[in-house]
Amino acid sequence: MSLLAVAMLAKSFGERRLLAIESLSLSAGERYVLTGENGSGKSTLLRILAGIEAPNRGDGCYAGRRFDWRPYPDWLRREVIYVHQQPYLFHTSVSENIAYGLRARGVDTGERERLVAAAIAWARLQHLLLTPPQKLSGGERQRVALARAWVLAPKVLLLDEPTANLDSESRRQTIDLLHGFCGARTTAVIACHDRDVIALPNMRRLHLLDGGIRVTGGPAP
Amino acid sequence: MGLLDATYAALRLLFSADPELWGIVGVSLSVTLRAMLIAMPLGIGSGYLLATLRFPGRRALIVVIQGLLASPTVVVGLLLYLLLSRQGIFGQLHLLFTQTAMVAGQALIALPVLTAFSLSALQGADPRARETAVALGASAPRIGWTMLVEVRFALMAAVCNAFGRIVSEIGCSLMVGGNIAGVTRNIPTAIALETSKGDFAQGIALGIVLLVVALGINSAFAFFQGESRQ
Repeated sequence: MSLLAVAMLAKSFGERRLLAIESLSLSAGERYVLTGENGSGKSTLLRILAGIEAPNRGDGCYAGRRFDWRPYPDWLRREVIYVHQQPYLFHTSVSENIAYGLRARGVDTGERERLVAAAIAWARLQHLLLTPPQKLSGGERQRVALARAWVLAPKVLLLDEPTANLDSESRRQTIDLLHGFCGARTTAVIACHDRDVIALPNMRRLHLLDGGIRVTGGPAP
Repeated sequence: MGLLDATYAALRLLFSADPELWGIVGVSLSVTLRAMLIAMPLGIGSGYLLATLRFPGRRALIVVIQGLLASPTVVVGLLLYLLLSRQGIFGQLHLLFTQTAMVAGQALIALPVLTAFSLSALQGADPRARETAVALGASAPRIGWTMLVEVRFALMAAVCNAFGRIVSEIGCSLMVGGNIAGVTRNIPTAIALETSKGDFAQGIALGIVLLVVALGINSAFAFFQGESRQ
């Protein structure tokens, strides 16, 4: 079943046409890896799907409901979470970073504390709770960002190069978390070239080439 | 009276709980703090709107605000005087030579400082901060608050700067306050008056208070900034 679909999606920067996607359909509960050359538009596509950037044109449909890109609807923003390649952590505590989206959704204090504690345990962040986020390593930041996304139980998770620039141990920990996160409840699109991520079970492959999406390897989306 | 004698007399005055001297200090701090309370939300709010909204004339407005940073306080005083004098459009309010007029004048002087520095702080913020707040589903007011919290030290610097500028300004306070003893006489106008009369002791004593206030605020700022980087 198609969860998030786009058609005739175009994005240009000045004269340069970056994306021209005739159609793309993401099925509920599936996991996709998005590949393509540097500058092929992987990050831009994820940012458009997350409502951080708007395309020049294109139709969008979520669970059978059409939506506009500008403004990106609030109801959809609560279903779709984007995690930046180099996650930004707010200048507060690790716990408050994880609680940020819950606060934005008006989750009451008791429930919020319970969910944050669960996210901390899930991402194994207990020993980092007293460390200022700005002093965390790249891998630790990535885990906090994943916990911050996980706690919101998104229907669609968009990850931009989650294992780039990480040492081998951090990479392994991040991939473990991704494996647990991208399950039946969450449709995930991971922009990535990491072979270990591509090799995760049931991973479908999307390849960006000349602005269009092509299916290479794995089951067709 | 030599400089040493005057300084000694000033210190004696400071520690003698002289009601006139401490009354002047009270007027200064009260007027300046009220002006800051008015100017801070307006200035920081305007800086935020200028940093986030795109509208025709925005760049010109920014240039004007940055130009107002260097506006002479006496010119602000003159304009306010014209507005508040009997013939002015606000003449019926009878605010000339009151602390309220001084508060309005100082708030006007602080406003461009707070706006320009807030704008600069927000423009210099990491763009991922806003994107992250958006991506996590924050509402527009929450995004705004998050951004202000993220650049809070730059905003504190803006507040220190604005406070320093208005607590020591003399031109506007003199013109719209009138330097009335016990009512609108603040530290800068009193220093000017006492010095012109040759009473250096009170001038130096008030100057010391101004310096202590300025150093205290900047030390507190440096302390909080250091704490956050621990």
